Amino acid sequence: MKVAISAEGTTLGAAVSRRFGICPYLIIVDLDTGEWEAVRNPGSSGKRGAGVEAIVLVLSKGVEAVVTGYSSPTAKKHLESNGVDVFTGVSGTIEEALEGYKKGEIQKTQELKPAPLNRWLFLKTSTVADALERSGNQFAAMLPILFSVVLLLGLFNTLVPGKLLASLFSGTAIIDTLWGACLGSIIAGNPVNSYIIGGELLKHGVSLFAVTALIITWVTVGLVQLPAEIAALGRKFALVRNAICFILAVPIALMTVVILNLIAG
Amino acid sequence: MNSVNRENGRETKAGISLKGIILFSIFVLAAYGILYFFAPETALKALKASAKISLSLCLPLSLVFSVMFLLNLFVRPAHIAGVFSREAGMKGMLLSAAAGIISMGPIFAWYPLMKKLREEGAGEGPIAVFLYNRAIKPFLLPVMIAYFGWAYVAIVTILTILGSIVLGYFMSSISRD
Repeated sequence: MKVAISAEGTTLGAAVSRRFGICPYLIIVDLDTGEWEAVRNPGSSGKRGAGVEAIVLVLSKGVEAVVTGYSSPTAKKHLESNGVDVFTGVSGTIEEALEGYKKGEIQKTQELKPAPLNRWLFLKTSTVADALERSGNQFAAMLPILFSVVLLLGLFNTLVPGKLLASLFSGTAIIDTLWGACLGSIIAGNPVNSYIIGGELLKHGVSLFAVTALIITWVTVGLVQLPAEIAALGRKFALVRNAICFILAVPIALMTVVILNLIAG
Repeated sequence: MNSVNRENGRETKAGISLKGIILFSIFVLAAYGILYFFAPETALKALKASAKISLSLCLPLSLVFSVMFLLNLFVRPAHIAGVFSREAGMKGMLLSAAAGIISMGPIFAWYPLMKKLREEGAGEGPIAVFLYNRAIKPFLLPVMIAYFGWAYVAIVTILTILGSIVLGYFMSSISRD
């Protein structure tokens, strides 16, 4: 007997997808042999008729039961009319869902925990702990550079007179914006550093045009990571994208400041 | 998927290596050391200025952690891949923009996923829109607001999204050529 489980990924450790019709993958398990395969759901694009494509796939694979977070009444009706049992309200990993199905626990769960509520009200401790750990790691990864940038800014604020820095910028909106865009394109790193550096530059009299261009290009233009982008997405894509992003930063910075000034009166 | 593994923050940001971070930190500390040797009062003044900046960042950074936690709790790379649209129309561009906004982690960590999506038929427009909208970081907004104010952040965010759509259409038209 074959069971299809809507999945977010291609492994048994992947999460059960909330929506049957538009889930990225369907993991089809043969309960008799223990063999399984992950099949990309042709309906994952979410376009009209996506559910039908998922139903066709399930039926073509000879599946007898579908386990998912949620299935539309129409999809459920079509599946059941073709002899496929549908179990909804399931969350957790594919492995857990499979075990639950084998033990006959899923039917009980579906009545107690409808899918949308499941996600928000019945979060597992492990999920919360995992999110905390990931956030802790991400935050910790941000701190060393952030700490060094703050120390450098303290040094900068003390040693570099504000007037000197301001004199490097012409005061002309377009030239200052271009300077800011060049600086942001060369420097890379977490955007939080661009906010802090930009904020401190503002205090030193650097124009908001330049600071805005710096903040925008900091992430959108990446000379440092250009080789990686070329390797992944191709030379033409990477070069054209970065060039347009650089050019776009200028009108966006100019418009931001102009609109802000209009609002501020 | 590489992007999933790199999402946990152990990788450094934007391609900066661990060696680079250590060298940068050593450079800054050495600068303080040299300054303290020649002008201790100025070095202490610089330290006080740094402490002042750090204090002003305490509240925004605690909010950053909170939003980061919520995003990690409810948004997974698989969800982002699901939101990401392969269509080049306006709806597709907006969905890709949303995927870019909620995505976290260094940009290079997303290249493998983008490459894979492209191989599966995703257009250049949606990919460019996704990458552009990574400039909008919901979890970093508290810091940005603390420095520049609500109005500025709102304007720059809206214009960034609009700019990304322009970029998306441009990239789509180039790929058609």
